[in-house]
Amino acid sequence: MSALSQADAAQLLYREALLLDRLDLEGWLELYTKDCVFWMPAWRDDGTQTEDPDSELSLIYYRGRRNLVDRVQRIRSGFSVASAVMPRVSHMIGNVLVDGAGEGKVRVDSTFIVNVHDVRINRSHAYFGRYEHELKLEDGAWKIARKVIRLMNDRVPTMLDVYGI
Amino acid sequence: MTRFALRDLIDDRPEDGVFRVSRALFRDEDLFDLEMKHIFEGGWVFIGLSTQAENPYDYFTGFIGRVPIIVSRDGDGVLRCFVNACPHKGVRLIQKLCGNARRHVCPYHSWTFDSAGANKNIKWQKSGCYGTGFDDENHDLAPVAKFGEYRGFLFASLNPDVPSLQDHLGETRKLLDLVVDKSPEGVELVPGRVTFTYAANWKMQLENCSDQYHFTSTHPSYIRILDQRAKEQSEEVVQSSIAASDFWQEGASGTTGGTMSFDHGHVLNWGIMPVSSALPEFERAEQLARDHGEAKRDWMFNMRNLTIFPNLQIAENASSQMRVIRPLAANLTEMQTWCIAPRGESAKARSFRIRQYEDFFNPTGMATPDDTVCYEEAQLGMAEQERPWLQGHARGLTASKEGGNMYADMIDLKPARNVVADAQLCDESLFASYYRAWAQRMAEGLA
Repeated sequence: MSALSQADAAQLLYREALLLDRLDLEGWLELYTKDCVFWMPAWRDDGTQTEDPDSELSLIYYRGRRNLVDRVQRIRSGFSVASAVMPRVSHMIGNVLVDGAGEGKVRVDSTFIVNVHDVRINRSHAYFGRYEHELKLEDGAWKIARKVIRLMNDRVPTMLDVYGI
Repeated sequence: MTRFALRDLIDDRPEDGVFRVSRALFRDEDLFDLEMKHIFEGGWVFIGLSTQAENPYDYFTGFIGRVPIIVSRDGDGVLRCFVNACPHKGVRLIQKLCGNARRHVCPYHSWTFDSAGANKNIKWQKSGCYGTGFDDENHDLAPVAKFGEYRGFLFASLNPDVPSLQDHLGETRKLLDLVVDKSPEGVELVPGRVTFTYAANWKMQLENCSDQYHFTSTHPSYIRILDQRAKEQSEEVVQSSIAASDFWQEGASGTTGGTMSFDHGHVLNWGIMPVSSALPEFERAEQLARDHGEAKRDWMFNMRNLTIFPNLQIAENASSQMRVIRPLAANLTEMQTWCIAPRGESAKARSFRIRQYEDFFNPTGMATPDDTVCYEEAQLGMAEQERPWLQGHARGLTASKEGGNMYADMIDLKPARNVVADAQLCDESLFASYYRAWAQRMAEGLA
């Protein structure tokens, strides 16, 4: 149980994508460990990303699932006009590479494209980049302990929330 | 001849208690072209911070209106600003956002320039059989007509016929001082730039920064999160400077802040925030009072949204942000945003500032998306033709007074007009300052 096969690791990533596509954000939160890191670095210049979230800016940086719970609550609150008409999203994940070294801990690299249709204003666009997941065995289940989202097209059209990346 | 008459665009009749702006200002493409020519390419605009090109041969690139520019520090340490276009064929000389180079070689035909903009080589010039007309021309990079710096804030104008930068900034220099003087070493941009677009007019952003009226309506989802976080005091979530003050709260009593207007279209709206540990500046609170006096220190802790017309906004509220507005079309705007911070603050304060920033200011955060979506919804409503006049520039009209007040006096600040407000006044009369400056710059293009 302490080893994770390439296929099982990919399954976990696909499950996360499916939960986001279905906007099952409560189910999505359950994939994360309580002390998870959720990080989308910003770009310093044309070619390099910020590396130290404590001295450089990120697009999103959270330490602790509690912050993701806040995000979901805001989306669900009924008091956010940006979340009133929910965009439709579809995640595609590819190039899944598993580095299985380490007992009870696995690193997974992948690429993503998220197609977003902003229903409110009838506009579609795609976000794309790379994911770096760190999966951890917790109480017999594999969970996401750390997720880095390296967004390539970082000129954000109006807004981008956790379900769109 | 222009088809626009100013009286159809801005209804400015103080004697009748009227100030109205037409929806046409937000939607008309021909007006947008005039704005590019007369406002963004016809007068002072903000172009960056000197720390973006700190060392010899550093440079960064950007735009003044539609015109690409380079800001370059030459070998002697002098900052210069040029049009980023090779005189030969007009090709953009530098494609990178920023870098360091002694020589800039045009990618098209290898004409070469130094960091001071001087032409150093025209490929195969001697064999080029040029006529005397060419030899008589200046082949250097074209410097912008006016370029100036105030305490690290860089401004330029493509039009030579403008007031001095000192006159243009006027009293707002004291408000920039509040930003810079937080550290004896001045300010810097935290690495990591964030850019976003929204499908609406640039003046929506111009106004929103100075619009206290929207906060509790647009951001209740964010405010609820802040309330909850404040109750729980969990170490996992960042402490909020907004939650630690009440200038925006419906029930707050007495004076909570106000607005000030300055010549040339600059405005400030501000709110009283206590000198508290909810701000990363707190670690220096005592030192700042010793160096600058308590009054100026207290102003450094106040919520301040400053606009230097037409494109620079410094928002010091939930954290500290520098925004540059770049209009792309009547219904499309690009925002370039940075976290601006005092140099030399502790690692703990810096990290705190960054965390406060991301949640509120980023287009990937919990507040800005609710603003930008409202801009887009407003843009849809701007299509209305039958009733052109907006009703969004009227609050505070009878509270607006000429000159300063006791709060301005604390830092010897002399605004042209001011409003002292309680939490529910939420002045809109300060927007008149934007539109009067707009009308002034646009005068040539309007009937």
